Amino acid sequence: MNNLYESLSTYYLPIFVATCYLFLYIPIIVLVIFSFNSVAFPYHWVSFSWQWYQELFHSLEIWHAFKNSLIVAFSSVFLSISLGLLFTFYGAQQKLRRLTPLFYGSLLIPEIVIAVSLLSLFTFFSIPLGLITLIVGHTLLGLGYVIPILSARFSELDVSVIEASLDLGATLHQTFFRIIIPLMSPALIASSLLVFIISFDDFLISFFCAGTSAQTLSLYIFAMIRTGVSPTINALSTLLLLLSSVFVLVFCSLKTKIRIF
Amino acid sequence: MNKVTFKQRVTAEIPFLLAVPAVLWQILFFYIPLLFIIALSFIYIIDCQKFALTLQAYRELLQPIYSYIIIRSVLLALTVSLLCLVIGFPIAYYIGLKKRSLKNIFLSFLILPFWTNLLVHVYAWFFVLEKNGFFNNILLYLGIIKSPLSILNSLTAVILVMFYCYLPFMILPLVSILEKIDTRLVEASLDLGATHRQTFFKVILPLSFPGLQTGFLLVFVPAFGEFVIPLLLGGDKYMYVGTLISHYFLVTQNTSVGTAFTIGSSFILLCSAFITYIIFKKLISLQR
Repeated sequence: MNNLYESLSTYYLPIFVATCYLFLYIPIIVLVIFSFNSVAFPYHWVSFSWQWYQELFHSLEIWHAFKNSLIVAFSSVFLSISLGLLFTFYGAQQKLRRLTPLFYGSLLIPEIVIAVSLLSLFTFFSIPLGLITLIVGHTLLGLGYVIPILSARFSELDVSVIEASLDLGATLHQTFFRIIIPLMSPALIASSLLVFIISFDDFLISFFCAGTSAQTLSLYIFAMIRTGVSPTINALSTLLLLLSSVFVLVFCSLKTKIRIF
Repeated sequence: MNKVTFKQRVTAEIPFLLAVPAVLWQILFFYIPLLFIIALSFIYIIDCQKFALTLQAYRELLQPIYSYIIIRSVLLALTVSLLCLVIGFPIAYYIGLKKRSLKNIFLSFLILPFWTNLLVHVYAWFFVLEKNGFFNNILLYLGIIKSPLSILNSLTAVILVMFYCYLPFMILPLVSILEKIDTRLVEASLDLGATHRQTFFKVILPLSFPGLQTGFLLVFVPAFGEFVIPLLLGGDKYMYVGTLISHYFLVTQNTSVGTAFTIGSSFILLCSAFITYIIFKKLISLQR
Protein backbone atom coordinates (compact mmCIF):
# COMPACT_ATOMS: atom_id res chain seq x y z
CA MET A 1 0.00 0.00 0.00
CA ASN A 2 2.80 2.39 0.84
CA ASN A 3 4.14 1.96 -2.66
CA LEU A 4 1.03 3.32 -4.21
CA TYR A 5 0.88 6.35 -1.99
CA GLU A 6 4.56 6.96 -2.32
CA SER A 7 4.68 6.63 -6.07
CA LEU A 8 1.79 8.99 -6.53
CA SER A 9 2.67 11.45 -3.87
CA THR A 10 6.44 11.71 -3.96
CA TYR A 11 7.04 14.67 -6.21
CA TYR A 12 4.24 15.85 -8.39
CA LEU A 13 1.37 15.83 -5.96
CA PRO A 14 3.04 17.91 -3.22
CA ILE A 15 4.23 20.45 -5.78
CA PHE A 16 0.76 20.63 -7.27
CA VAL A 17 -0.91 21.05 -3.88
CA ALA A 18 1.61 23.68 -2.82
CA THR A 19 0.95 25.64 -6.02
CA CYS A 20 -2.78 25.50 -5.40
CA TYR A 21 -2.44 26.70 -1.82
CA LEU A 22 -0.22 29.52 -3.07
CA PHE A 23 -2.90 30.39 -5.58
CA LEU A 24 -5.46 30.46 -2.76
CA TYR A 25 -3.38 32.70 -0.56
CA ILE A 26 -1.43 35.04 -2.84
CA PRO A 27 -4.29 37.53 -3.34
CA ILE A 28 -4.96 37.60 0.39
CA ILE A 29 -1.30 38.10 1.26
CA VAL A 30 -0.93 40.91 -1.27
CA LEU A 31 -4.08 42.51 0.10
CA VAL A 32 -2.81 42.40 3.67
CA ILE A 33 0.66 43.73 2.80
CA PHE A 34 -0.72 46.69 0.89
CA SER A 35 -3.03 47.65 3.74
CA PHE A 36 0.13 48.89 5.50
CA ASN A 37 1.29 50.95 2.54
CA SER A 38 1.68 54.65 3.22
CA VAL A 39 0.40 56.09 -0.06
CA ALA A 40 -3.14 56.38 -1.27
CA PHE A 41 -2.29 55.20 -4.74
CA PRO A 42 -2.14 51.62 -3.67
CA TYR A 43 -0.02 49.72 -6.19
CA HIS A 44 3.53 50.55 -5.29
CA TRP A 45 5.04 49.84 -1.97
CA VAL A 46 6.39 53.02 -0.38
CA SER A 47 6.68 52.64 3.35
CA PHE A 48 4.98 51.14 6.35
CA SER A 49 2.17 53.01 8.04
CA TRP A 50 -0.93 52.52 10.16
CA GLN A 51 -2.76 55.45 8.61
CA TRP A 52 -5.46 53.43 6.83
CA TYR A 53 -6.31 51.64 10.03
CA GLN A 54 -6.56 54.98 11.80
CA GLU A 55 -8.81 56.26 9.06
CA LEU A 56 -10.90 53.13 9.39
CA PHE A 57 -11.38 53.60 13.12
CA HIS A 58 -12.37 57.22 12.66
CA SER A 59 -15.01 56.47 10.06
CA LEU A 60 -18.44 56.70 11.66
CA GLU A 61 -20.05 54.99 8.70
CA ILE A 62 -17.97 51.85 9.20
CA TRP A 63 -18.70 51.71 12.92
CA HIS A 64 -22.38 52.04 12.15
CA ALA A 65 -22.26 49.23 9.58
CA PHE A 66 -20.24 47.11 11.99
CA LYS A 67 -22.81 47.65 14.74
CA ASN A 68 -25.63 46.65 12.39
CA SER A 69 -23.77 43.52 11.30
CA LEU A 70 -23.19 42.56 14.92
CA ILE A 71 -26.84 43.06 15.86
CA VAL A 72 -28.03 40.97 12.95
CA ALA A 73 -25.45 38.23 13.51
CA PHE A 74 -26.08 37.89 17.26
CA SER A 75 -29.85 37.85 16.84
CA SER A 76 -29.66 35.27 14.07
CA VAL A 77 -27.41 33.06 16.18
CA PHE A 78 -29.72 33.36 19.16
CA LEU A 79 -32.86 32.67 17.15
CA SER A 80 -31.58 29.82 15.03
CA ILE A 81 -29.87 28.07 17.94
CA SER A 82 -32.92 28.27 20.19
CA LEU A 83 -35.30 27.20 17.47
CA GLY A 84 -32.91 24.44 16.46
CA LEU A 85 -32.44 23.20 20.02
CA LEU A 86 -36.17 23.07 20.71
CA PHE A 87 -36.71 21.24 17.47
CA THR A 88 -33.95 18.75 18.15
CA PHE A 89 -34.99 17.93 21.71
CA TYR A 90 -38.55 17.40 20.92
CA GLY A 91 -37.52 15.76 17.69
CA ALA A 92 -36.58 12.78 19.84
CA GLN A 93 -40.12 11.77 19.10
CA GLN A 94 -39.82 9.49 16.15
CA LYS A 95 -42.43 11.19 14.02
CA LEU A 96 -40.63 14.53 14.16
CA ARG A 97 -37.48 13.07 12.64
CA ARG A 98 -39.26 12.98 9.34
CA LEU A 99 -39.53 16.77 9.41
CA THR A 100 -35.75 17.28 9.33
CA PRO A 101 -35.47 17.13 5.50
CA LEU A 102 -37.75 20.17 5.45
CA PHE A 103 -34.73 22.22 6.44
CA TYR A 104 -32.44 21.03 3.66
CA GLY A 105 -34.45 23.02 1.13
CA SER A 106 -32.66 26.26 1.85
CA LEU A 107 -29.31 24.63 1.07
CA LEU A 108 -30.43 23.24 -2.27
CA ILE A 109 -31.75 26.44 -3.77
CA PRO A 110 -29.44 29.28 -4.84
CA GLU A 111 -29.38 31.97 -2.21
CA ILE A 112 -30.44 34.58 -4.72
CA VAL A 113 -33.78 32.81 -5.20
CA ILE A 114 -34.35 32.77 -1.43
CA ALA A 115 -33.43 36.44 -1.24
CA VAL A 116 -35.72 37.43 -4.10
CA SER A 117 -38.68 35.44 -2.81
CA LEU A 118 -38.29 36.89 0.69
CA LEU A 119 -38.09 40.35 -0.84
CA SER A 120 -41.30 39.87 -2.82
CA LEU A 121 -43.08 38.55 0.27
CA PHE A 122 -41.94 41.53 2.34
CA THR A 123 -42.87 44.08 -0.30
CA PHE A 124 -46.25 42.46 -0.98
CA PHE A 125 -47.25 42.70 2.68
CA SER A 126 -45.50 46.10 2.84
CA ILE A 127 -43.26 45.02 5.70
CA PRO A 128 -40.59 47.72 5.98
CA LEU A 129 -37.15 46.43 5.04
CA GLY A 130 -34.51 46.81 7.68
CA LEU A 131 -32.62 44.98 10.37
CA ILE A 132 -35.64 42.84 11.29
CA THR A 133 -36.10 41.49 7.77
CA LEU A 134 -32.36 40.79 7.65
CA ILE A 135 -32.53 38.84 10.88
CA VAL A 136 -35.44 36.82 9.49
CA GLY A 137 -33.47 35.91 6.38
CA HIS A 138 -30.24 35.10 8.20
CA THR A 139 -32.04 32.95 10.77
CA LEU A 140 -33.50 30.99 7.88
CA LEU A 141 -30.01 30.45 6.44
CA GLY A 142 -28.75 29.49 9.90
CA LEU A 143 -31.48 26.92 10.49
CA GLY A 144 -30.36 25.10 7.35
CA TYR A 145 -27.01 24.44 9.05
CA VAL A 146 -28.03 24.26 12.72
CA ILE A 147 -30.74 21.64 12.44
CA PRO A 148 -28.70 19.03 10.52
CA ILE A 149 -25.68 19.56 12.82
CA LEU A 150 -27.65 19.45 16.07
CA SER A 151 -29.83 16.52 15.13
CA ALA A 152 -26.80 14.57 13.96
CA ARG A 153 -25.07 15.20 17.29
CA PHE A 154 -28.24 14.41 19.19
CA SER A 155 -28.66 11.04 17.52
CA GLU A 156 -25.03 10.21 18.34
CA LEU A 157 -25.57 10.78 22.07
CA ASP A 158 -25.16 7.75 24.26
CA VAL A 159 -28.75 6.86 25.12
CA SER A 160 -27.65 4.81 28.12
CA VAL A 161 -26.35 7.97 29.86
CA ILE A 162 -29.67 9.69 29.32
CA GLU A 163 -31.64 6.68 30.49
CA ALA A 164 -29.40 6.28 33.53
CA SER A 165 -30.25 9.83 34.48
CA LEU A 166 -33.96 9.14 34.02
CA ASP A 167 -33.77 5.86 35.95
CA LEU A 168 -32.05 7.62 38.83
CA GLY A 169 -35.06 9.83 39.19
CA ALA A 170 -34.17 12.99 37.28
CA THR A 171 -37.07 14.56 35.50
CA LEU A 172 -37.02 14.99 31.75
CA HIS A 173 -36.25 18.69 32.07
CA GLN A 174 -33.40 18.08 34.50
CA THR A 175 -32.02 15.52 32.09
CA PHE A 176 -32.21 18.00 29.23
CA PHE A 177 -30.47 20.78 31.09
CA ARG A 178 -27.95 18.77 33.12
CA ILE A 179 -27.09 15.94 30.73
CA ILE A 180 -28.06 16.62 27.17
CA ILE A 181 -27.07 20.30 26.84
CA PRO A 182 -23.59 19.77 28.37
CA LEU A 183 -23.04 16.75 26.12
CA MET A 184 -24.05 18.78 23.12
CA SER A 185 -22.18 21.96 24.01
CA PRO A 186 -19.31 21.53 21.51
CA ALA A 187 -21.84 21.11 18.71
CA LEU A 188 -23.78 24.09 20.03
CA ILE A 189 -20.69 26.32 20.10
CA ALA A 190 -19.59 25.13 16.67
CA SER A 191 -22.95 25.78 15.07
CA SER A 192 -23.23 29.18 16.78
CA LEU A 193 -19.88 30.17 15.31
CA LEU A 194 -20.99 28.93 11.92
CA VAL A 195 -24.27 30.85 11.97
CA PHE A 196 -22.51 33.96 13.24
CA ILE A 197 -20.00 33.96 10.42
CA ILE A 198 -22.64 33.09 7.81
CA SER A 199 -24.74 36.02 8.90
CA PHE A 200 -21.79 38.36 9.34
CA ASP A 201 -20.41 37.58 5.88
CA ASP A 202 -23.69 37.26 4.06
CA PHE A 203 -24.07 39.51 1.09
CA LEU A 204 -26.98 38.33 -1.05
CA ILE A 205 -29.79 38.33 1.50
CA SER A 206 -28.48 41.58 2.95
CA PHE A 207 -28.34 43.14 -0.51
CA PHE A 208 -31.97 42.35 -1.24
CA CYS A 209 -33.63 42.48 2.18
CA ALA A 210 -31.84 45.33 3.96
CA GLY A 211 -33.58 48.18 2.23
CA THR A 212 -31.90 51.57 2.16
CA SER A 213 -31.66 52.26 5.88
CA ALA A 214 -29.73 49.26 7.20
CA GLN A 215 -26.12 49.22 6.04
CA THR A 216 -24.13 46.15 7.02
CA LEU A 217 -20.40 45.66 6.68
CA SER A 218 -20.79 43.50 3.55
CA LEU A 219 -22.97 46.10 1.88
CA TYR A 220 -20.47 48.78 2.84
CA ILE A 221 -17.59 46.87 1.24
CA PHE A 222 -19.70 46.26 -1.86
CA ALA A 223 -20.43 49.97 -2.22
CA MET A 224 -16.73 50.77 -1.74
CA ILE A 225 -15.59 48.25 -4.36
CA ARG A 226 -17.98 49.73 -6.89
CA THR A 227 -16.35 53.12 -6.45
CA GLY A 228 -12.84 51.69 -6.84
CA VAL A 229 -9.81 50.49 -4.96
CA SER A 230 -8.86 52.18 -1.72
CA PRO A 231 -6.38 51.19 1.01
CA THR A 232 -9.07 51.56 3.69
CA ILE A 233 -10.86 48.54 2.24
CA ASN A 234 -7.55 46.70 2.39
CA ALA A 235 -7.34 47.53 6.09
CA LEU A 236 -10.95 46.53 6.71
CA SER A 237 -10.48 43.27 4.79
CA THR A 238 -7.37 42.49 6.82
CA LEU A 239 -9.31 42.90 10.06
CA LEU A 240 -12.15 40.69 8.75
CA LEU A 241 -9.62 38.04 7.75
CA LEU A 242 -8.16 38.17 11.25
CA LEU A 243 -11.62 37.69 12.73
CA SER A 244 -12.33 34.71 10.48
CA SER A 245 -8.99 33.14 11.36
CA VAL A 246 -9.83 33.34 15.06
CA PHE A 247 -13.19 31.73 14.37
CA VAL A 248 -11.63 28.93 12.34
CA LEU A 249 -9.06 28.32 15.07
CA VAL A 250 -11.77 28.03 17.71
CA PHE A 251 -13.91 25.88 15.43
CA CYS A 252 -11.07 23.49 14.66
CA SER A 253 -10.00 23.23 18.29
CA LEU A 254 -13.50 22.21 19.43
CA LYS A 255 -12.89 18.61 18.34
CA THR A 256 -16.55 18.17 17.53
CA LYS A 257 -15.92 16.01 14.50
CA ILE A 258 -18.34 18.31 12.75
CA ARG A 259 -17.49 18.76 9.16
CA ILE A 260 -19.37 21.44 7.38
CA PHE A 261 -19.82 18.97 4.56
CA MET B 1 -42.16 -3.48 35.44
CA ASN B 2 -41.50 -2.38 31.90
CA LYS B 3 -38.65 0.03 31.52
CA VAL B 4 -39.81 3.28 29.95
CA THR B 5 -37.36 4.42 27.34
CA PHE B 6 -36.24 7.97 26.73
CA LYS B 7 -38.12 8.22 23.47
CA GLN B 8 -41.37 7.04 25.00
CA ARG B 9 -41.04 9.56 27.81
CA VAL B 10 -40.33 12.38 25.38
CA THR B 11 -43.31 11.37 23.31
CA ALA B 12 -45.51 11.17 26.37
CA GLU B 13 -44.41 14.25 28.29
CA ILE B 14 -43.16 16.83 25.83
CA PRO B 15 -45.71 18.76 23.86
CA PHE B 16 -45.33 18.70 20.12
CA LEU B 17 -45.73 22.47 20.19
CA LEU B 18 -42.11 23.05 21.12
CA ALA B 19 -40.84 21.82 17.78
CA VAL B 20 -43.28 24.02 15.97
CA PRO B 21 -41.38 27.37 15.98
CA ALA B 22 -38.54 26.04 13.82
CA VAL B 23 -40.89 24.31 11.41
CA LEU B 24 -43.10 27.38 11.26
CA TRP B 25 -40.13 29.64 10.59
CA GLN B 26 -39.00 27.43 7.75
CA ILE B 27 -42.47 27.24 6.21
CA LEU B 28 -43.28 30.90 6.70
CA PHE B 29 -40.03 32.34 5.38
CA PHE B 30 -38.91 29.69 2.94
CA TYR B 31 -41.72 27.63 1.49
CA ILE B 32 -44.41 30.30 1.47
CA PRO B 33 -42.19 32.92 -0.24
CA LEU B 34 -41.25 30.31 -2.84
CA LEU B 35 -44.90 29.47 -3.51
CA PHE B 36 -45.61 33.17 -3.47
CA ILE B 37 -43.20 33.98 -6.29
CA ILE B 38 -44.47 30.98 -8.23
CA ALA B 39 -47.97 32.44 -7.91
CA LEU B 40 -46.74 35.92 -8.85
CA SER B 41 -45.19 34.60 -12.02
CA PHE B 42 -48.62 33.67 -13.35
CA ILE B 43 -50.11 37.05 -12.64
CA TYR B 44 -49.61 39.59 -15.34
CA ILE B 45 -50.23 43.17 -14.38
CA ILE B 46 -51.87 45.03 -17.24
CA ASP B 47 -52.10 48.41 -15.55
CA CYS B 48 -52.52 49.69 -12.01
CA GLN B 49 -56.00 48.31 -11.55
CA LYS B 50 -56.23 45.25 -13.72
CA PHE B 51 -54.28 42.08 -13.65
CA ALA B 52 -54.85 38.72 -15.22
CA LEU B 53 -53.93 35.14 -14.58
CA THR B 54 -51.92 34.26 -17.67
CA LEU B 55 -48.85 32.59 -19.00
CA GLN B 56 -47.88 35.90 -20.58
CA ALA B 57 -44.73 36.28 -18.50
CA TYR B 58 -43.57 32.81 -19.48
CA ARG B 59 -44.36 33.52 -23.12
CA GLU B 60 -42.05 36.50 -22.91
CA LEU B 61 -39.35 34.22 -21.62
CA LEU B 62 -39.42 32.31 -24.90
CA GLN B 63 -37.49 35.13 -26.54
CA PRO B 64 -34.02 33.87 -27.45
CA ILE B 65 -32.23 36.42 -25.27
CA TYR B 66 -33.44 34.66 -22.11
CA SER B 67 -32.34 31.24 -23.31
CA TYR B 68 -28.92 32.71 -24.14
CA ILE B 69 -28.59 34.02 -20.61
CA ILE B 70 -29.65 30.72 -19.07
CA ILE B 71 -27.38 28.71 -21.37
CA ARG B 72 -24.51 31.08 -20.61
CA SER B 73 -25.05 30.59 -16.87
CA VAL B 74 -25.24 26.81 -17.24
CA LEU B 75 -22.01 26.82 -19.26
CA LEU B 76 -20.30 29.08 -16.74
CA ALA B 77 -21.40 26.92 -13.82
CA LEU B 78 -20.34 23.78 -15.69
CA THR B 79 -16.91 25.21 -16.53
CA VAL B 80 -16.32 26.29 -12.95
CA SER B 81 -17.48 22.94 -11.52
CA LEU B 82 -15.34 20.93 -13.93
CA LEU B 83 -12.31 23.14 -13.20
CA CYS B 84 -12.87 22.67 -9.47
CA LEU B 85 -13.29 18.94 -9.98
CA VAL B 86 -10.11 18.49 -12.01
CA ILE B 87 -7.95 20.67 -9.77
CA GLY B 88 -9.72 19.77 -6.54
CA PHE B 89 -9.48 16.01 -6.83
CA PRO B 90 -5.68 15.72 -6.57
CA ILE B 91 -5.67 18.17 -3.66
CA ALA B 92 -8.40 16.23 -1.84
CA TYR B 93 -6.53 13.00 -2.60
CA TYR B 94 -3.36 14.43 -1.12
CA ILE B 95 -5.08 15.78 1.99
CA GLY B 96 -7.23 12.69 2.48
CA LEU B 97 -4.19 10.46 2.83
CA LYS B 98 -2.35 12.71 5.31
CA LYS B 99 -1.99 11.91 8.97
CA ARG B 100 -4.61 13.39 11.24
CA SER B 101 -2.72 16.40 12.56
CA LEU B 102 -1.35 17.41 9.17
CA LYS B 103 -4.75 16.87 7.62
CA ASN B 104 -6.32 19.28 10.08
CA ILE B 105 -3.78 21.96 9.22
CA PHE B 106 -4.44 21.56 5.49
CA LEU B 107 -8.18 21.56 6.09
CA SER B 108 -8.23 24.65 8.28
CA PHE B 109 -6.36 26.58 5.59
CA LEU B 110 -9.06 25.45 3.18
CA ILE B 111 -11.94 26.35 5.48
CA LEU B 112 -10.58 29.83 6.16
CA PRO B 113 -11.78 31.24 2.80
CA PHE B 114 -15.18 29.65 3.42
CA TRP B 115 -15.40 31.55 6.71
CA THR B 116 -14.31 34.86 5.23
CA ASN B 117 -16.53 37.37 3.55
CA LEU B 118 -16.82 36.59 -0.15
CA LEU B 119 -16.45 40.29 -0.87
CA VAL B 120 -13.03 40.31 0.76
CA HIS B 121 -11.91 37.67 -1.74
CA VAL B 122 -13.48 39.49 -4.65
CA TYR B 123 -11.78 42.66 -3.51
CA ALA B 124 -8.44 40.87 -3.14
CA TRP B 125 -8.65 39.68 -6.74
CA PHE B 126 -9.83 43.08 -7.87
CA PHE B 127 -6.73 44.50 -6.23
CA VAL B 128 -4.37 41.90 -7.69
CA LEU B 129 -5.74 41.94 -11.24
CA GLU B 130 -6.11 45.71 -11.63
CA LYS B 131 -4.44 47.24 -14.65
CA ASN B 132 -1.72 48.73 -12.46
CA GLY B 133 -2.06 45.94 -9.92
CA PHE B 134 0.23 43.33 -8.50
CA PHE B 135 -0.17 40.72 -11.24
CA ASN B 136 0.59 43.10 -14.10
CA ASN B 137 3.51 44.62 -12.22
CA ILE B 138 5.06 41.20 -11.68
CA LEU B 139 4.61 40.24 -15.33
CA LEU B 140 6.05 43.59 -16.47
CA TYR B 141 8.97 43.23 -14.08
CA LEU B 142 9.72 39.73 -15.35
CA GLY B 143 9.50 41.03 -18.90
CA ILE B 144 6.81 38.57 -19.94
CA ILE B 145 4.53 41.33 -21.19
CA LYS B 146 5.30 44.77 -22.58
CA SER B 147 2.12 46.59 -21.61
CA PRO B 148 -0.32 45.85 -18.78
CA LEU B 149 -3.08 43.35 -19.53
CA SER B 150 -6.64 44.25 -18.73
CA ILE B 151 -7.87 41.07 -17.12
CA LEU B 152 -10.60 42.67 -15.05
CA ASN B 153 -14.06 42.92 -16.58
CA SER B 154 -13.60 39.80 -18.66
CA LEU B 155 -14.92 36.28 -18.66
CA THR B 156 -11.46 35.06 -17.62
CA ALA B 157 -11.63 37.09 -14.42
CA VAL B 158 -15.11 35.80 -13.64
CA ILE B 159 -14.15 32.15 -14.16
CA LEU B 160 -10.86 32.54 -12.27
CA VAL B 161 -12.43 34.12 -9.20
CA MET B 162 -15.42 31.78 -9.17
CA PHE B 163 -13.04 28.83 -9.37
CA TYR B 164 -11.07 30.34 -6.50
CA CYS B 165 -14.15 30.89 -4.34
CA TYR B 166 -15.74 27.50 -4.95
CA LEU B 167 -12.68 25.24 -4.82
CA PRO B 168 -13.10 24.51 -1.07
CA PHE B 169 -16.69 23.38 -1.68
CA MET B 170 -15.37 20.69 -4.00
CA ILE B 171 -12.43 19.62 -1.87
CA LEU B 172 -14.14 19.28 1.53
CA PRO B 173 -16.74 16.62 0.60
CA LEU B 174 -14.10 14.77 -1.43
CA VAL B 175 -11.72 14.64 1.52
CA SER B 176 -14.38 13.24 3.81
CA ILE B 177 -15.12 10.48 1.27
CA LEU B 178 -11.50 9.72 0.45
CA GLU B 179 -10.44 9.38 4.07
CA LYS B 180 -13.16 6.81 4.64
CA ILE B 181 -11.92 4.51 1.88
CA ASP B 182 -11.01 1.16 3.36
CA THR B 183 -7.26 0.87 2.81
CA ARG B 184 -7.61 -2.92 2.74
CA LEU B 185 -9.37 -2.62 -0.62
CA VAL B 186 -6.40 -0.74 -2.01
CA GLU B 187 -4.01 -3.30 -0.58
CA ALA B 188 -6.08 -6.16 -1.95
CA SER B 189 -6.08 -4.61 -5.39
CA LEU B 190 -2.31 -4.19 -5.32
CA ASP B 191 -1.73 -7.67 -3.88
CA LEU B 192 -3.86 -9.21 -6.61
CA GLY B 193 -1.54 -7.76 -9.20
CA ALA B 194 -3.17 -4.53 -10.27
CA THR B 195 -0.81 -1.72 -11.12
CA HIS B 196 -0.96 1.58 -9.25
CA ARG B 197 -2.68 3.20 -12.18
CA GLN B 198 -5.28 0.41 -12.38
CA THR B 199 -5.85 0.59 -8.64
CA PHE B 200 -6.43 4.32 -8.88
CA PHE B 201 -8.87 4.15 -11.79
CA LYS B 202 -10.65 0.93 -10.83
CA VAL B 203 -10.75 1.20 -7.04
CA ILE B 204 -10.08 4.64 -5.62
CA LEU B 205 -11.81 6.78 -8.24
CA PRO B 206 -15.07 4.78 -8.30
CA LEU B 207 -15.19 4.78 -4.50
CA SER B 208 -14.94 8.56 -4.50
CA PHE B 209 -17.86 9.14 -6.88
CA PRO B 210 -20.30 10.02 -4.06
CA GLY B 211 -17.92 12.77 -2.92
CA LEU B 212 -17.53 14.01 -6.47
CA GLN B 213 -21.28 14.13 -6.76
CA THR B 214 -21.75 16.19 -3.58
CA GLY B 215 -18.88 18.49 -4.52
CA PHE B 216 -20.16 18.98 -8.04
CA LEU B 217 -23.61 20.00 -6.80
CA LEU B 218 -22.19 22.22 -4.06
CA VAL B 219 -20.28 24.13 -6.73
CA PHE B 220 -22.80 23.96 -9.57
CA VAL B 221 -25.86 25.25 -7.69
CA PRO B 222 -24.36 28.46 -6.27
CA ALA B 223 -22.27 29.04 -9.40
CA PHE B 224 -25.42 29.01 -11.52
CA GLY B 225 -27.02 31.80 -9.50
CA GLU B 226 -23.80 33.69 -8.81
CA PHE B 227 -24.38 37.38 -8.68
CA VAL B 228 -21.57 39.27 -6.98
CA ILE B 229 -18.61 38.02 -9.00
CA PRO B 230 -20.02 38.64 -12.51
CA LEU B 231 -21.30 42.00 -11.34
CA LEU B 232 -18.04 43.24 -9.83
CA LEU B 233 -15.45 41.50 -11.99
CA GLY B 234 -17.27 40.82 -15.25
CA GLY B 235 -18.00 44.40 -16.18
CA ASP B 236 -21.37 45.01 -17.76
CA LYS B 237 -20.60 42.93 -20.80
CA TYR B 238 -22.46 39.76 -19.96
CA MET B 239 -25.71 39.11 -18.15
CA TYR B 240 -26.05 35.95 -16.11
CA VAL B 241 -29.06 34.50 -14.36
CA GLY B 242 -28.15 36.10 -11.04
CA THR B 243 -27.51 39.54 -12.47
CA LEU B 244 -30.70 39.49 -14.53
CA ILE B 245 -32.83 38.46 -11.55
CA SER B 246 -31.45 41.28 -9.45
CA HIS B 247 -31.98 43.66 -12.36
CA TYR B 248 -35.66 42.76 -12.52
CA PHE B 249 -36.25 43.07 -8.81
CA LEU B 250 -34.13 46.08 -7.97
CA VAL B 251 -33.96 48.18 -11.12
CA THR B 252 -36.99 47.66 -13.32
CA GLN B 253 -39.30 46.30 -10.61
CA ASN B 254 -40.91 44.17 -13.31
CA THR B 255 -42.02 41.45 -10.94
CA SER B 256 -44.09 39.30 -13.27
CA VAL B 257 -41.31 38.70 -15.80
CA GLY B 258 -38.75 38.73 -12.97
CA THR B 259 -40.50 36.00 -11.00
CA ALA B 260 -41.20 34.01 -14.16
CA PHE B 261 -37.52 34.21 -15.04
CA THR B 262 -36.52 33.21 -11.50
CA ILE B 263 -38.86 30.21 -11.60
CA GLY B 264 -37.84 29.25 -15.11
CA SER B 265 -34.14 29.37 -14.38
CA SER B 266 -34.56 27.53 -11.07
CA PHE B 267 -36.40 24.84 -13.00
CA ILE B 268 -33.51 24.56 -15.46
CA LEU B 269 -31.12 24.40 -12.51
CA LEU B 270 -33.11 21.59 -10.89
CA CYS B 271 -33.12 19.72 -14.19
CA SER B 272 -29.38 20.07 -14.66
CA ALA B 273 -28.77 19.05 -11.04
CA PHE B 274 -31.01 16.04 -11.58
CA ILE B 275 -29.18 15.09 -14.78
CA THR B 276 -25.81 15.23 -12.98
CA TYR B 277 -27.29 13.16 -10.19
CA ILE B 278 -28.42 10.53 -12.70
CA ILE B 279 -25.05 10.54 -14.47
CA PHE B 280 -23.20 10.00 -11.21
CA LYS B 281 -25.65 7.31 -10.15
CA LYS B 282 -25.03 5.50 -13.44
CA LEU B 283 -21.31 5.83 -12.93
CA ILE B 284 -21.58 4.45 -9.40
CA SER B 285 -23.79 1.53 -10.39
CA LEU B 286 -21.63 0.70 -13.42
CA GLN B 287 -18.74 0.01 -11.11
CA ARG B 288 -20.64 -2.49 -9.00
